[in-house]
Amino acid sequence: MTTAVDTADIAAKPLTAQRGGLWRFILIRLLLIIPTVFILVTVVFFLMRLTGDPITAALGGRLPPDQLKERIHEAGYDRPLIVQYLDYLGGVFRGDFGTTLTDHRPVSTILLQYGAATLELAFYALIVAFIIGIPLGLIAAYKRDRWQDAILRIGAILGYATPIFFVAILLKLVFAVNLGWLPVAGRASTRTELAMTTLQNPTGIYLIDAFRLGDPDAVGDVLWHAVLPGLALGILTAGIFLRLVRTNVIGTLGAQYVTSARSRGVGEYRLVTKHAYRPALIPIVTLMGLQIAALLAGAVLTETSFEWKGLGFMLADYLKARDFVAVQGIVIMIAVVVAVVNFIVDVIAVLIDPRVRY
Amino acid sequence: MSLHHPRRGRLVLAIGAIGASAVVLAGCAGGGGGNATGGNSSAPLIVGTTDKITSIDPAGSYDNGSFAVMNQVYPFLLNSKYGTADVTPDIATSAEFTSPTEYTVKLKSGLKFANGHDLTSSDVKFSFDRVIKINDPNGPASLLGNLASIATPDATTVVFTLKNPNDQVWPQILSSPAAPIVDEQVFSADKVTPDDDIVKGDAFAGQYKITSYKVNELINYVPNTDYKGELGAADNKGITVKYYADASNLKLDVGNGDIDVAYRSLSATDVADLSKNSKVQVVSGPGGEIRYIVFNFNTMPFGAKTANADPAKALAVRQAMADLVDRDKIASDVYKNTYTPLYSYVPKGLTGANEALKGLYGDGKGGPDADKAKKTLADAGITTPVELNLQYNGDHYGPSSGDEYAAVKSQLEAGGLFKVNLAQTEWVQYSKDRTADTYPMYQLGWFPDYSDADNYLSPFFSKDNFLVNHYDNADVQSLISKQATETDASARADEIGQIQDLVAKDLSTLPLLQGTQVAIVGKDVKGTTLDGSFKFRYAPLHK
Repeated sequence: MTTAVDTADIAAKPLTAQRGGLWRFILIRLLLIIPTVFILVTVVFFLMRLTGDPITAALGGRLPPDQLKERIHEAGYDRPLIVQYLDYLGGVFRGDFGTTLTDHRPVSTILLQYGAATLELAFYALIVAFIIGIPLGLIAAYKRDRWQDAILRIGAILGYATPIFFVAILLKLVFAVNLGWLPVAGRASTRTELAMTTLQNPTGIYLIDAFRLGDPDAVGDVLWHAVLPGLALGILTAGIFLRLVRTNVIGTLGAQYVTSARSRGVGEYRLVTKHAYRPALIPIVTLMGLQIAALLAGAVLTETSFEWKGLGFMLADYLKARDFVAVQGIVIMIAVVVAVVNFIVDVIAVLIDPRVRY
Repeated sequence: MSLHHPRRGRLVLAIGAIGASAVVLAGCAGGGGGNATGGNSSAPLIVGTTDKITSIDPAGSYDNGSFAVMNQVYPFLLNSKYGTADVTPDIATSAEFTSPTEYTVKLKSGLKFANGHDLTSSDVKFSFDRVIKINDPNGPASLLGNLASIATPDATTVVFTLKNPNDQVWPQILSSPAAPIVDEQVFSADKVTPDDDIVKGDAFAGQYKITSYKVNELINYVPNTDYKGELGAADNKGITVKYYADASNLKLDVGNGDIDVAYRSLSATDVADLSKNSKVQVVSGPGGEIRYIVFNFNTMPFGAKTANADPAKALAVRQAMADLVDRDKIASDVYKNTYTPLYSYVPKGLTGANEALKGLYGDGKGGPDADKAKKTLADAGITTPVELNLQYNGDHYGPSSGDEYAAVKSQLEAGGLFKVNLAQTEWVQYSKDRTADTYPMYQLGWFPDYSDADNYLSPFFSKDNFLVNHYDNADVQSLISKQATETDASARADEIGQIQDLVAKDLSTLPLLQGTQVAIVGKDVKGTTLDGSFKFRYAPLHK
């Protein structure tokens, strides 16, 4: 949606005109979420129905045919598909995603309850990606074509090429089982989770809830449990960030203003950390939007490996039980989150870089 | 451009700061995390399990995970006291047949739910009526097939009118998953009530009530002081149950002392490992679980619907398989003796159980006999090797099913009499396929609904049984009906024995193993009770 235009054109435009254009861009970008979500809901709905109706998928084989037929009728799955689709669409826009077939829970409750856990995990993974990816990317650029650069590049490739479940198992085996330094699974210890049940309106984001408890041990416990899942999921993105930062810093190190600074006697270290790295970070912001989709996809494997009971964990669970009402709701929610995050990232990219326009 | 740099710098700085503080806090709390999990005697005991809850509404579930919760929080008219499988009145003062088709229960007076509502005969009638009316596919309505109607002449009297007279299983049914008593002011009469509504309504009258509930994550129980049943008050101040998706995580947590009890389902290897861990003790008790191979009489080799149908040859194939399996070896090698060999259809420990297959097949002492199998097939005129398509499931009966069936395949193929094509299917598809004649022979397991031999016979060998394997023996069916209404205990045991002898000759299924119940508990945990009721009660646990 965004295109780069000549900066001279922008500079020539009055400030008010630029601001008007920005608001128009945000509005258009916001409105575009509606057809995007609409298409996603439509595709997910019809793809799910390719396998038949959800009642037969979940309960077929466990009920006599007449009872199965009765339940299909009660749920309205014997109506024309287009009627069911419009009904579902109406429900989605009212926030009603139906009720799961296997455990009789409103899908919207599941989305709220477990969505918070997944977002928290994605947050930790992004932190890991930033902490690892950016400094190492700078080092790789600074040590370009030397052995340090080679090792870091290989490390980056390994980071994003190694399957998440393998990283998860490896981390668990080394740090939880063999060394015993970190918890093997879960989002917090049992006693911390119990303490959280005393909170009025818990957010479901354990870090926030732990802070609300006012107990430093609880905060530490939550973070302690987040280290391995955050690493397992974040390493993938860290590898991508590392390579991106390296490439961009190397590019800006060759720019004219850097060459001028070098000729003025500015040291290499300062050139990298002050002059070259800031512009190199801009693509990271754009990439974050794309990485959210990858992180949410990776969350299914990470959450399953670490018993991190979020949307990914529940998605795997409901898929196994063939509860397609639940699966449909979760997939749509993930798609909506990706669409919204991409919108936010686009807006941030426009705000921080005047060269990026619409 | 430079105008924006400080903002980006701050953003990066903020992210870095959050990350750094996270690491520092986590580092500082290295011990803190540990401290948070450390137990003390005044804190609730923590029980870990891989069970899953479908619903805590008795009308909406019929599985171990859900029933485990119900056993703690709902009262039953009859229940088994600790250490026995026999049922006696729980919240009742008496329960007996007052005529061949009427079973009358007198409730204790002054019973209440934890929310203060009175528990009367009306609640009892409501509890049973709704299970039948809702008839949820995940529910236990099928257990109430013999119930015609319920009358409540007064607030403490309940009269069950049964379709078939003298139903000897009825008292057991009243302690089964179909029989928890629920609050009619909280539960819906015609729909499964959501778990959160039940917890919010405090609709509990069992030994415990639930104070916090996150389905399949964490449940906190505290003793219910209003419970007036025969099981008595809890010996602990409360129980927290943590639900695991992965048995290896459960094993690590109990092994490290992070939880006090692990009950269901650790693999045999995990149990063997933990038995060497000085922090824990392994407690075992009789198990009601059985594992067996089902033969589809239509589609197995020489089955009724195959091109070369021949009932005598089909029987010879089943007999030769029975001659070849080495149950002892599977029990010791695969299950590290957490299962024991099963030589009949009713497991050891229940009234009427025998070892019908032991003398009939193999070496006559329980071991395999390849020569006998060879002769059986040769006498029937069967050319060997016979190709067998054997199906099993890897996700429903524990993680060792693959090893178990690899061992079965190896034993059947050892003498060159059979060539076994082993295949695995995930549970949901498996459940559909097995009743659609897709598998000629396949693995199944069974956890009893109640502790009576009938529960191992009627569901399997009656007409229209749940196996749907086209086994049909009128003598067996007649005996099953007879024992179900036989009021003379000795005569009933004899009839149960006859049924096993008859089925052992036909080999509708091939029993392999009987499970034991295993709990791993901390060294300081006492009161673990694993008995023939197959109900794991939290109330006797204490430190």
